[in-house]
Amino acid sequence: MGSAVTHAPAREGLAEDSVPRRGPAHSARPSASARRGRRENLAGYLFMSPWIAGFLLLTAGPMAASLYFAFTDYNLFDAPRWIGLDNFSEMFADPRWRHSVRITLWYVVIGTPVKLLAALGVALLLAQKRRGQAFYRAAFYAPSLIGASVSVAIVWKAIFSDDAIVDRTQQLFGIGAGGWTGDPDLIIYSLVALTVWQFGAPMVIFLAGLKQVPRELYEAADVDGAGKLRQFWNITLPMISPVLFFNVLLETIHSFQIFSSAYIVGGGAGGNACGPADGTMVYTCYLYVQGFENSRMGLASAMAWMLLVAVALVTAVLFWSQKRWVHYEEGGR
Amino acid sequence: MQQGGNVERRTILKAAGASLAVAGLGATATACGGGSGSGDGTVTIRYSWWGADDRAERINKTIALFEKKYPKIKVKTDFQPYLDFWKKFNTQASGGNPPDVFQNAIGFLRKYDAKNVLLDLSEQVKAGHLSMDGFRAGLDKFGEIDGKLLGVPVGSNSMALVIDKPVYTRAGVTAEQGWTWDDFHAAMARIRDRTGRAGDSGMYGVMYLYDLYLRQNGKAFFTETGLGFTEADLTEWWTRAEKGVKSGVYADPRKVAQIKPKSALSAELAGSEFTWDNFTVRYTSEGKSEYGLAPIPTTDGKKTGQYLGSLMLSASKRTRHPEEVAQFIHFMVHDPEVAKIMGYDRGVPATQAQYDAYQPTDPVNKAIAAYEESLVKAGVLEPITPHPGGADICESAFLRIAEEMAMGKRSVDEAVKQFFTESKTALAG
Repeated sequence: MGSAVTHAPAREGLAEDSVPRRGPAHSARPSASARRGRRENLAGYLFMSPWIAGFLLLTAGPMAASLYFAFTDYNLFDAPRWIGLDNFSEMFADPRWRHSVRITLWYVVIGTPVKLLAALGVALLLAQKRRGQAFYRAAFYAPSLIGASVSVAIVWKAIFSDDAIVDRTQQLFGIGAGGWTGDPDLIIYSLVALTVWQFGAPMVIFLAGLKQVPRELYEAADVDGAGKLRQFWNITLPMISPVLFFNVLLETIHSFQIFSSAYIVGGGAGGNACGPADGTMVYTCYLYVQGFENSRMGLASAMAWMLLVAVALVTAVLFWSQKRWVHYEEGGR
Repeated sequence: MQQGGNVERRTILKAAGASLAVAGLGATATACGGGSGSGDGTVTIRYSWWGADDRAERINKTIALFEKKYPKIKVKTDFQPYLDFWKKFNTQASGGNPPDVFQNAIGFLRKYDAKNVLLDLSEQVKAGHLSMDGFRAGLDKFGEIDGKLLGVPVGSNSMALVIDKPVYTRAGVTAEQGWTWDDFHAAMARIRDRTGRAGDSGMYGVMYLYDLYLRQNGKAFFTETGLGFTEADLTEWWTRAEKGVKSGVYADPRKVAQIKPKSALSAELAGSEFTWDNFTVRYTSEGKSEYGLAPIPTTDGKKTGQYLGSLMLSASKRTRHPEEVAQFIHFMVHDPEVAKIMGYDRGVPATQAQYDAYQPTDPVNKAIAAYEESLVKAGVLEPITPHPGGADICESAFLRIAEEMAMGKRSVDEAVKQFFTESKTALAG
């Protein structure tokens, strides 16, 4: 009690510090200004309340619940039953889970670098001053706007299926494979192609990065007689490395979360959920199958948290590695 | 800006209170919107089923008929392909929002009864809103589990070999009641050799066919509580399958995977397919050829192991209109006009009245009627295999793992092991 009483005036004084002093005549003001501050705060929180409510009800709440479910056996109908770490040990022992991890890692490891290389390559071409560049920029960017949609995934499936355009082109060269979407080993590459095709978003970021590189560095290099390749390696790459880092980070995290394209290209309606012989059973697909097909929400929650931990680890490694290869202009090192 | 901590806390509390109030208002608003009764006593019930477009067309016609007869009841419909239907249903049911009435099958009765989803319709029978009289062949007992009436059969069907008739003619193959598995395999090879098309679409992954094979040998796919066969049994079944895929007797699974949801038979990848006899209706609307029915091969020249299966209508326990739902089911299983519209799309009508009302005139439905009659004449029908909870998950695992084996992603031994592991988990849960 006593401490609370002595505490309050001290706080008032603190608040008073933040407003300009107007002399001793205004000794009654502090509490008034504090009150106005409070009112402003209240208004601020009120305006924020839709967001706060959304965050608590739709994000924080469900996340806390799923953390709890991860340690339970929960089939959606009966009350969750606490089983400790059983979900995790079951997960690690499940060959289908290991398959989904393998296939997801493969997708990330192949898809992300190829996509970024394509984005950087095209960005380099588009950074040059030529006529009609604005048109090309828009044209190359467009796929990344629509690429994540269900309709494109359906088109993709059609393009890569038996006797469709890709297969026919292959047949011209005598290497017809009977369609990628029916082949459990090839179908994942149609997904890689789909993500690479959406290189527009990282490309735009690369473009912005390229514009930031000071001209005089190239001029100096020209004077020193450095060739184009040398200039790219010693000037462009180090100068855009922060942008490159940002893109690597973003695309890696994004790739881990692949779902809709795998689900749709891999089957969707009427067949197995994710591909012939689990060919596109990526991590999130398997999570979905366990949760919604097999009604094992506890296990699915455990899988979701496992994914979060894995992505966090990869992100941490990337951040740690940036000391070695990312070059910041001023004091960033 | 520096502010007192206690002030902030109070503000947050107020803000939280305000947002909770807002959320509360939102919830009330939704609750009002979700109500399915309106002032004039009109009631809306939701009805979902699985199937394809041709079934949807027929069902919509029967609903129009129902709404005319019961102007106070409106029916909202929804349908998906089989697997998607159950995913959606499961999610809706667990969220406490299942459709009021829905298509069901025996494999799901125990599962959803255990989860408290299914309405015991016997109350409605007692109240006189639904009659269980006039069913054929003991079908009125099909939806009864532990004394509760959980589903009302709309039709009966049996497993059959659906064939592409011109292909069979070209290959010079005929199938007669009592033919053996050796005859069958010889016929499949002959179709491959003479027509260049695979004989069969992939029988090794069809749980309901393997069940018949097991029953011919004194076993069954399920017992009351688990699997009714051993790893050695399945190894034998899939070893034969692996050979058949390699030699082209069975359709290339990579091609079959790509034409889904169309069937391998109507996509002309295979000359025949084991499935329920009423699927002939769907294949006829899907494919270009003429389709017929052939008997199930036997082990001893006699016993096919067959039984009548059935699609049913079930009601959800949470429905607010059990009476209207019962009236709806009654109409759908007893009204003769409904039978004329539905034909044999969901099997041969379950009630005698509907059976008599529909006289098939087209070759497809005639063939189904003849097939069902031939089974009765041959006296091969036996009691159905039990379906423990989790049977549905076993069925889709069986199909998927068989596909993995056929595509060479797993050896037969690995596939068998994987199936036993997965089904053990499914049947325990």
